[in-house]
Amino acid sequence: MQSADELQVRKRIYLQRDFSNGMAVRFQTRFPSELDGRVNPEEFSQTISVLNEKYRQAEEISFSTYCEGCLACLTGYLLLLCINTHYKKVLKEISKYIEDQNNTIYWPKRILIKDPFESGLRSIEIVIFDEN
Amino acid sequence: MARQTGILYFTISLILVTVALFFGFECRLTLVTHLPYGYFIPIACGLLFLFNMGCLLRTAWSDPGIIPRSTPEEAAYLERCLQDQQARDENTREYRPPPRTLDITINGTPMKLKYCFTCKIFRPPRASHCSMCDNCVENFDHHCPWVGNCVGRRNYRYFFLFVTSLTLLCLFIFSFSVTHIILLSGLQGGFLEALKISPGRYPFMLICFFSIWSVIG
Repeated sequence: MQSADELQVRKRIYLQRDFSNGMAVRFQTRFPSELDGRVNPEEFSQTISVLNEKYRQAEEISFSTYCEGCLACLTGYLLLLCINTHYKKVLKEISKYIEDQNNTIYWPKRILIKDPFESGLRSIEIVIFDEN
Repeated sequence: MARQTGILYFTISLILVTVALFFGFECRLTLVTHLPYGYFIPIACGLLFLFNMGCLLRTAWSDPGIIPRSTPEEAAYLERCLQDQQARDENTREYRPPPRTLDITINGTPMKLKYCFTCKIFRPPRASHCSMCDNCVENFDHHCPWVGNCVGRRNYRYFFLFVTSLTLLCLFIFSFSVTHIILLSGLQGGFLEALKISPGRYPFMLICFFSIWSVIG
């Protein structure tokens, strides 16, 4: 399979944040017109919805996250050198999910979704390559 | 960390010197020997000092929630989208510079997102551009020169803990210096006699006392 470096970039799209339900991390699920014909709209909206759900889970407060926070504070945050917080763990899951989706759905159509963490959770960059 | 870090080193040395003087003089000479359970005082002071230093360094060296600048492609894409929207709304083909505020609705309340010309992004609400650090910061509170970093969403808790523990440390050292003077004046027969014996470090204790007011405030 060709690598991304060998192909020409036709277009880059940036899916912005959706602030309509507050400041929580959520991306707009509207289907970009540039992907028309290349990607199935349901699959695309499923990918973005799952991402939104995972980001919501990352910031969820539970008994374990509360304990993590308290213990970290009491040890002068030295605990954070030893363990990964719940948030970091979910972010790793999200990276893996994006990689999976790229490998199974998007790269065969020469589209790459980039992890929004690189842009500071500001936007999801979607790179559309030339077919050839 | 921000560019001018000189004041951070000043803050660190101020706290370090005050605590060292406290250990060197009060603890060694009077408190440990003359007070019952006096040895708890240096232990408590040491723990508080370590916690304070940890919070200070964590505030100074952690990311306050910097929003990375947009790449040129993203900036161009945003402009194109806005222009298309403008053209659709106004049915005109002539070029107009894209609007520099974006209207959105958050939970039913209409809000305007401002555009940052340096970072070329629409800032989320409560984000602001820090000119000292030259980047946009989420939930921007202020740029603290004492800490040498911005205080924003991701390091607010460390900053707050730093200020609180510094207040406690100041109060702790000040109250025990006063205890020391009282003890000394009791032993030496007079307040002025006590002051004469150990004059050097009281300016530091006074600085400590005055910094309590500015820090708690």
